[in-house]
Amino acid sequence: MKLDRRQFVGEFTAVIAATFVPRSLRAPQSGQSAATNAPMNEGAYRPVRLPAVKSSPSMTNDERDKLEHEIHCQCACNLDVYTCRTTDFTCPVSPAMHRDVMSLVEGGHNAQAILDAFVGAYGERALMAPTKSGFNWAAYVVPFLALGAGTVLVATLLRTWKRQTTLASSPVRNVPVEGTADEIAVIDAAVRRDDG
Amino acid sequence: MILVGELSLWVALLMAAWGTTMGFAAGVTRRAELVLSAERAIYATFAFILLASLGIWTAILASDFSFKFVASFTSANLPTVYKFTAFWAGQSGSLLFWALILSLYSAIAVATIGSQRSELKPYVAGTLSAVTLFFTLVLCFGANPYERLDWIPPDGRGMNPQLQNPGMAAHPPNLYLGLIATTVPFAYAVAALITRRLDSEWLVAVRRWALLSWFFLTVGITLGMWWAYVELGWGGYWAWDPVENASFLPWLTGTAFLHSIMVQEKRGMLRKWNVTLVAATFLLSIFGTFITRSGVISSVHSFAQSPVGYWFAGFLVLMIVATAYLVSTRLRDLRGVSQLESVVSREAAFLFNNLVLVGMAFSVLWGTIFPILSEAVRGEKITVGPSFFNQVNIPFGLLLLALTGIGPLIAWRKASAASLKRQFAASLTGGLVTGGALMALGMRDAYALVAYALAGFVLTTIGQEFYKGIGARRRIYGENVFQALLRLIGRNRRRYGGYIVHLGVVMLFVAFAGQAFRKEQDVTIRAGETFETTDPYGHSWRFVSQGVSRYDELNRQTTALLLDASRDGERVGLLKTEKRQHVDSRGVPTFEPSTEVGILEGIRQDVYVVLAGVSSGETAEIRITFNPLVVWVWVGGAIMAIGGLIVMWPQAGRRHAQAGYAAVLEPRAAIETAS
Repeated sequence: MKLDRRQFVGEFTAVIAATFVPRSLRAPQSGQSAATNAPMNEGAYRPVRLPAVKSSPSMTNDERDKLEHEIHCQCACNLDVYTCRTTDFTCPVSPAMHRDVMSLVEGGHNAQAILDAFVGAYGERALMAPTKSGFNWAAYVVPFLALGAGTVLVATLLRTWKRQTTLASSPVRNVPVEGTADEIAVIDAAVRRDDG
Repeated sequence: MILVGELSLWVALLMAAWGTTMGFAAGVTRRAELVLSAERAIYATFAFILLASLGIWTAILASDFSFKFVASFTSANLPTVYKFTAFWAGQSGSLLFWALILSLYSAIAVATIGSQRSELKPYVAGTLSAVTLFFTLVLCFGANPYERLDWIPPDGRGMNPQLQNPGMAAHPPNLYLGLIATTVPFAYAVAALITRRLDSEWLVAVRRWALLSWFFLTVGITLGMWWAYVELGWGGYWAWDPVENASFLPWLTGTAFLHSIMVQEKRGMLRKWNVTLVAATFLLSIFGTFITRSGVISSVHSFAQSPVGYWFAGFLVLMIVATAYLVSTRLRDLRGVSQLESVVSREAAFLFNNLVLVGMAFSVLWGTIFPILSEAVRGEKITVGPSFFNQVNIPFGLLLLALTGIGPLIAWRKASAASLKRQFAASLTGGLVTGGALMALGMRDAYALVAYALAGFVLTTIGQEFYKGIGARRRIYGENVFQALLRLIGRNRRRYGGYIVHLGVVMLFVAFAGQAFRKEQDVTIRAGETFETTDPYGHSWRFVSQGVSRYDELNRQTTALLLDASRDGERVGLLKTEKRQHVDSRGVPTFEPSTEVGILEGIRQDVYVVLAGVSSGETAEIRITFNPLVVWVWVGGAIMAIGGLIVMWPQAGRRHAQAGYAAVLEPRAAIETAS
């Protein structure tokens, strides 16, 4: 088989891509969400059904809308079900997911049971944020651990630098500004005279 | 013109390769004629990329649908202004646009490098050419905008309706101008590291470019938020989407650099850190481009999935390795010359400011890539949405806001307890009074209360700085308040321009905290029907449907709903929200219908209405959102940009001023030592 340069480079990058990035990480390509530029995955809907546990609704409409903010629409739009269904009327997935939420609410299921049912059907990607369990804790904890480690590092550095310091070795230098140096110095001295 | 443009792209590739070779060869051999050759190659690269860009613009304006790019992103009936902006609407065109700006910046950078930094010039030219070479390689072999179709369609696919918005015409160019400007400081850093000339000289040039980058990123991000708010219809302006995060990351590290550079200028400290920040800012720009173009992470507004992303991944890895090697082999040269006298000093405050900014950048990066990590570790695909980012980043943001107020109150070198007490008294009072007043008024949201209290604290700090400065000028020079204010800013643009930026930051936080009180409802309403509700301030609102209308305009078929809005019984205006079906020149629908929101803007809140759909003739499904304080996002962004302009405005007579400093360095130092 003979390849021209463009084909060669294309094939080469495709091989690299296939080697380093799992296929599942690449976005599906069928249609396009009107709310976003992301390709819409219209066949992503899966029914979420549970037998009713009570004959009265478990929450008010406002509480249900709030709950829908925690459920990820599966049309690949990156929006929650409430926002997607009230924004993008071309999306067939969020209205279907909304109907499931309504039916579960009517069946007396509480918020956690409804979220669990959606996770059961779609996996954790049904939620707008990682659950606080197992490996997912890393998502929440690592940034603050990093900040804590950074604080300790900065504090240690400051103490080390302070120990090494002699007054004579550290003049404050002026950096260029528009006013004459005298003028700036006088104003600065007046502004900072309280500095003690 | 089109053929000239197509050929020019290939010549630009050769020129960039020549510039790279000559730049690094000139650095090694120190031959002046090679430096000149590298410099000329950069000018030539710019000229040829400009020709290539003009060629594409010509093809777009002529609706030459034999080109895949033109057929994919335009149609014959696309309004001319959007034909012009279609240049950056698609993958290959936007890459050419990137290369155009990069080559322009490169030409300006080498032309203005100055004789005092001549030793850096060959490596600066070489590095800039190398980055341009990468982009021209991608353009020629990975995403060529001149790629032709096997057949010529009667009309193009048209532009995504959501890109047919003034905000989208201005947002990408500003963002690109900001992201690409990070390349010049990176080139200086590479040159300084290779030559081991790591004194403060290279920072003088770098600071200007870093400010330029920060300015355009600020404008670009603000415009992007505005576009998302008025165009996407989901009611917000920031969703922590990976592509939004991609622009925010270099902004955060760039902001950190603009603070830490002051410490190096004033005290000769943080040299390693500053080089690292410059490199990190550039690398994050490339990382963002990788995210946007690879399809690796699902995003609201990424380009189509493309192997081009892997070119960027490879380039990113190469740059990280090269930078890490350069920094690790020059650690001795990067040692600071000054040390710290007190942990209670401006330099220490800046260090903590950098810690929070970089910590925030890390947390955003972490959240952005966590879905990939989760899938790699657990095989479980998860979503990391706004609720996660808000949980993690709100504490970082509040810390940052606090430091915005603390930093200016602490003196360089050392601040005594007595001076701290005096300096902080008014600001702390301002913060406590604000928080207390809001609590008394019934505000109970903890984050919002802390945000507003801190906003009060920072505003008092800024006000105090201006008050003292104006007072000092009035006493010393006898100026009136207005003169004193203008001269205070004009004579020390860096400091007071910076305070104006901080003022914009406070406004942003005030607006962000307002989102805690957002209220939304979905409503089904028929012509003549009324819907009544209350807003977050307790005012009662009445919306009367004036009915649904359908009509054709420009390149679209529109379905519109009119609502007559009244507040507390007083009519405030009409709200129009639309669904638009865009069509090509033959009337064939091009994209899925898009939303045009209706907004009643106000300084206290926006009333935001979205037409979600129309069923059975006149029955409209709408979402009504009361969005408190949103307008302050745009005002805050504009004030930040104005502050940035003041800081970077060229200084007349700077040479004279600089010469003067050496003469007065000692007296000035004496004043600060004594104070």
